[in-house]
Amino acid sequence: MQALKLKGLSKNFGGLEVLKDISFDLEVGEHAAVIGPNGAGKTTLFNVISGALPISSGKLEMFGRDITKASTHQRIQYGLGRSFQITRLFPDLTILDNILLALHGTKPSRYHMFRKVVAYDGIMEKAEQLLQQIDLWYLRSKKVKAISYGDQRKMEIIMSLASDPKLILLDEPTAGLAIDEIPSFINTVKALSGSTTVLLTSHDMDVVFGLAERVIVLYYGQFIAEGTPEEIQADPKVREIYLGIEENEGYAES
Amino acid sequence: MNTRPDIYVKNNRNTGKRSVVAGLTLLSILLISLPPFMGPYGESMITQILIFSIFAMGLNIVVGYTGLFSMGHAAFFGVAGYTAGIMMVHYGIVNFWIIAPISIVLATLFAALFGIIALRVSGLYFLFVTLALGELLHSVAWKWRSMTGGADGLTGIPYPSLGFPFNMNATHFYYLVFIIFVVSVGLLYGIAKSPFGSALQGIREDEHRMQHLGYNTWMYKYLAFIIAGFFSGVSGMLFASFANVMAPEHLGVHTATLAVLMIILGSDRVFFGPMIGATIVLFLQYYASTFAPERWPLILGTVFVLSVMFLRGGISIHLIKFWNKMGSWYASTKT
Repeated sequence: MQALKLKGLSKNFGGLEVLKDISFDLEVGEHAAVIGPNGAGKTTLFNVISGALPISSGKLEMFGRDITKASTHQRIQYGLGRSFQITRLFPDLTILDNILLALHGTKPSRYHMFRKVVAYDGIMEKAEQLLQQIDLWYLRSKKVKAISYGDQRKMEIIMSLASDPKLILLDEPTAGLAIDEIPSFINTVKALSGSTTVLLTSHDMDVVFGLAERVIVLYYGQFIAEGTPEEIQADPKVREIYLGIEENEGYAES
Repeated sequence: MNTRPDIYVKNNRNTGKRSVVAGLTLLSILLISLPPFMGPYGESMITQILIFSIFAMGLNIVVGYTGLFSMGHAAFFGVAGYTAGIMMVHYGIVNFWIIAPISIVLATLFAALFGIIALRVSGLYFLFVTLALGELLHSVAWKWRSMTGGADGLTGIPYPSLGFPFNMNATHFYYLVFIIFVVSVGLLYGIAKSPFGSALQGIREDEHRMQHLGYNTWMYKYLAFIIAGFFSGVSGMLFASFANVMAPEHLGVHTATLAVLMIILGSDRVFFGPMIGATIVLFLQYYASTFAPERWPLILGTVFVLSVMFLRGGISIHLIKFWNKMGSWYASTKT
């Protein structure tokens, strides 16, 4: 059984084809990365997988379940998690409230009306543990809009991991992190349980090659290549996209 | 490992909580013991404030917590009021224990129906759809003369009977309203601080992200709409007996605007804000109608504009800031 299965997935915005007939599978526990130049369709791909956008044609399966027509919140209940490239937190709520929303989201307690949101011991422990991990527990009564962008980015990632999803989509997770914080992020992802499947995009090749066992390359909405990081680095088509065509080979001699 | 100071200072929080509890206890004692000293005007004023506080605080679940600007909840206020009034005036049923459940359930059912229609759209369109649905009921009340009394209103609505051997007077009714107010505030407070209430605020901040955390946001908005409808019903049912009359304007834009104004004036981000707003608006209305009845809209409009200009975010927020300032000033005098 695959964690994720894309069959002939296409997405049009009017006449513009942003994703053209994309098919690939992710095995359970696999860490994969989608790369491609700006405008390749990486975020759109994430949006159709998370259900933020409906697909134009094709089929989507998650852990053997057809989720082509499932709504976003249903997909999350089935075990999907997602972080956003542009930080999307709840700015007027406190750090603690933010993390508690993420933790209650996949539990029946999310509908409880007559118990305080902070009165769930297990959830509070988890919240403390997650916030200690990014060193924000001591700031938990601060509103999210009052903390630094770097801290907001860390919140963004922690929020998407809070519900222990079985399949995680990380959209540019390290954008906005300080360089010395990137290794700690890589360790966080590596420390996830072995059955957690990860699909990420990043412009930072250290992150891509540090985390991904398999790399998928998109170019203007088209599936170009896939393979291990080494294969991708050696692939002539990928080199062409990223480095340009070497048509002036003789130029240096003259 | 963490050497930084924990700024989530427990003591501060507790003193904050203590002063709130102390304030509420004082207010309750005042409200319980005052009626014999207040005279009929004061008593009627406070009864009215409590009734509208239930309405405004209930509505704030939708307007403030969820961020949906509903102009339609006066409709549910009116449905409950007219239902209670019609039962008492036309059918002679005055037993509170029959009237209250029927009128409130009916108001809630209307909210459940209107919610399905109104929540198909969002933003400004939501405001207009709720406004239109309210006006729909307004015109029904206007035209259905045999039941509602049409433009003359449904007059002669008595106080309900609780089944006690004595007839209810204004003071008894005040205490009935007070008890219902306390229960309503308790329920609303529970909802506001619960995971459900927290989720509503999340939806106000970023609905899309909430879906990505697993929340069925439509269901939350719908439930919030119905909960506010329920409390509008509670308030409307009480209002019918308080005012002795229901008129079509109670269903429509006039009452809807008044409720939203109470929320905005008092602050939609503070739990008791709408109650403070209700107090201010009703006091203003009372004095304006005594001294310059024809100038009431002008006075209300001026106060509204001034508060938007100088008391951004609502009066309650500024009261809290002032209170905290006084607190730190008091603390500094002691050292």
